[in-house]
Amino acid sequence: MHDLYIFITGPLAWAAFILFIGGSLYRLLAMLILVNRKERFIFSYMSLRYGLRSILHWITPFATVNMRRHPVLTVVTFLFHICLIVTPIFLLSHVILWDESWNLSWWSLPDGLADFMTIIVIAGAIFFLIRRIVSPEVQFVTSASDYIILAIVAAPFVTGFLAYHQWFAYEFFMVLHILTGEMMLVAIPFTRLSHMIYSPFTRAYMGSEFGGVRHAKDW
Amino acid sequence: MNKSVVYMIAFVIIFVFVLVSVHSQEDMERVDNSVFKNPERPSALFRHDEHNENADIENCSECHHLYEDGQMIEDGSSEDQHCSDCHALKASDSIPALRKAFHMNCKGCHLEQKQGPVTCGECHKK
Ligand code: HEC
Ligand code: HEC
Ligand code: HEC
Ligand code: HEC
Ligand code: HEM
Ligand code: HEM
Repeated sequence: MHDLYIFITGPLAWAAFILFIGGSLYRLLAMLILVNRKERFIFSYMSLRYGLRSILHWITPFATVNMRRHPVLTVVTFLFHICLIVTPIFLLSHVILWDESWNLSWWSLPDGLADFMTIIVIAGAIFFLIRRIVSPEVQFVTSASDYIILAIVAAPFVTGFLAYHQWFAYEFFMVLHILTGEMMLVAIPFTRLSHMIYSPFTRAYMGSEFGGVRHAKDW
Repeated sequence: MNKSVVYMIAFVIIFVFVLVSVHSQEDMERVDNSVFKNPERPSALFRHDEHNENADIENCSECHHLYEDGQMIEDGSSEDQHCSDCHALKASDSIPALRKAFHMNCKGCHLEQKQGPVTCGECHKK
């Protein structure tokens, strides 16, 4: 147990974070280089003002026509993403581990609230899963990798939840949690989860084109 | 006169009785967490005497260390004090905060010796 724990929270965690951060930077750079080579003219009309204006609209719930058209999906998507990003960063146990290894610490959520937010993420994942299975227009564009990606995202939340509650096989789920958490981090730059990296740019691009070139709204 | 002697003896007997009963209180099962405001976790498992016997720790100052003017007193120990008497909830200068002091002390040794619990739920067991 000790050698395993030391390995997965030491070298393996290093590898996961290096791949996550390095991979994300690499994907960003590769995108900018590609655009520069193929469609350099895009830079000429990229606009900070229209770009930010569009991003702001798209991160405000119900600020776009599309969101108003699908209110349930909008609410689920927002809650899902907020809890997905905020919970692990401000989770007390994660903060304690950062503090122990790096002497860095910051504000943390009360465990009860974090647990509730974890349930929201799991429920959101189940919602997306059901939507993929029952909704014909989504099913049409679904492939096996969509399910795998959903599972990769849900796994650290399910295992973290089970470990926190210590209902059964605590040590097993604790180890599984760390492994699936690291897997998710690595998956972000190298799968469709990279929408986290790309979305601000595609949004800013759309915003600039609609605002600066077509003089129209893109929301 | 006689009455006050009786009172005095009664007082001494009760005083001694209370002292003895405090000292022969149940063996420690967990580390008391009442100094933390709204503890987030169940208190940590720690059968004091049994633990130290199994872990072969002879030196009380391994945990109950004593500092004076920032200097560790080599052959001194502080088992008459709580960790919280010196370690506040917030860190100050070089003195780690209480929670971190516990974690560094307990988990630190367990990792070093590759024996004893290292994950949250093994210590903070429901
Ligand atoms: C592995 C660490 C460790 C070692 C070694 C250790 N103690 Fe303790 N002891 C503790 C902790 C932790 C507490 C609880 C302190 C607190 O509540 O602030 C404690 C509390 C005590 C108390 C208070 C008892 C009570 O019920 O509140 C006494 C007395 C004590 N220890 C004596 C000793 C003596 C004597 C030794 C050496 C033979 C020793 N300890 C070795 C960790 C240790
Ligand atoms: C007499 C006051 C005092 C008491 C009682 C005390 N500490 Fe400390 N402790 C200190 C001081 C002062 C430091 C800072 C040492 C330094 O400057 O490096 C310290 C540092 C530490 C450290 C980090 C440095 C190291 O030694 O590894 C740990 C861990 C620690 N204490 C744990 C505990 C625990 C656990 C208890 C209770 C069982 C306890 N302390 C009781 C005064 C105390
Ligand atoms: C100096 C080293 C050392 C320190 C400090 C220490 N431990 Fe341990 N602990 C051990 C060792 C060694 C074992 C394994 C002993 C065995 O084989 O049972 C152990 C085992 C345990 C166990 C599992 C066995 C049992 O008794 O149920 C618990 C729980 C535990 N420690 C809690 C603590 C806590 C809480 C603290 C801090 C207050 C602490 N330990 C500090 C060395 C240490
Ligand atoms: C080796 C044993 C050990 C391990 C492992 C451990 N702790 Fe602790 N922890 C303690 C002790 C001892 C205390 C002091 C008082 C108490 O809770 O009994 C403490 C105190 C705390 C406190 C402050 C009191 C409270 O309940 O608010 C928190 C929070 C905490 N631990 C969380 C964690 C988390 C999260 C982990 C896993 C990342 C963890 N601990 C791992 C032994 C341990
Ligand atoms: C380096 C990798 C990671 C480590 C070492 C780690 C460690 C931990 C630990 C120790 C706990 C506490 C379990 C307990 O209370 O017993 C925990 C809980 C949790 N972790 Fe992680 N984690 C990692 C990665 C992740 C990632 C990537 C995510 C999500 C994106 C995540 C989400 C969670 C959640 C949601 C919980 C708490 C669940 C609840 O309280 O209901 N973790 N983690
Ligand atoms: C700030 C960055 C992010 C933005 C702007 C963003 C945006 C989006 C958007 C617009 C959707 C589409 C929702 C729909 O179906 O209508 C989506 C879906 C999703 N996102 Fe993100 N996201 C971000 C970060 C992340 C991260 C970090 C993860 C996980 C690691 C993630 C995981 C998912 C998942 C699992 C889905 C659902 C896919 C499905 O429909 O099955 N997102 N995101």
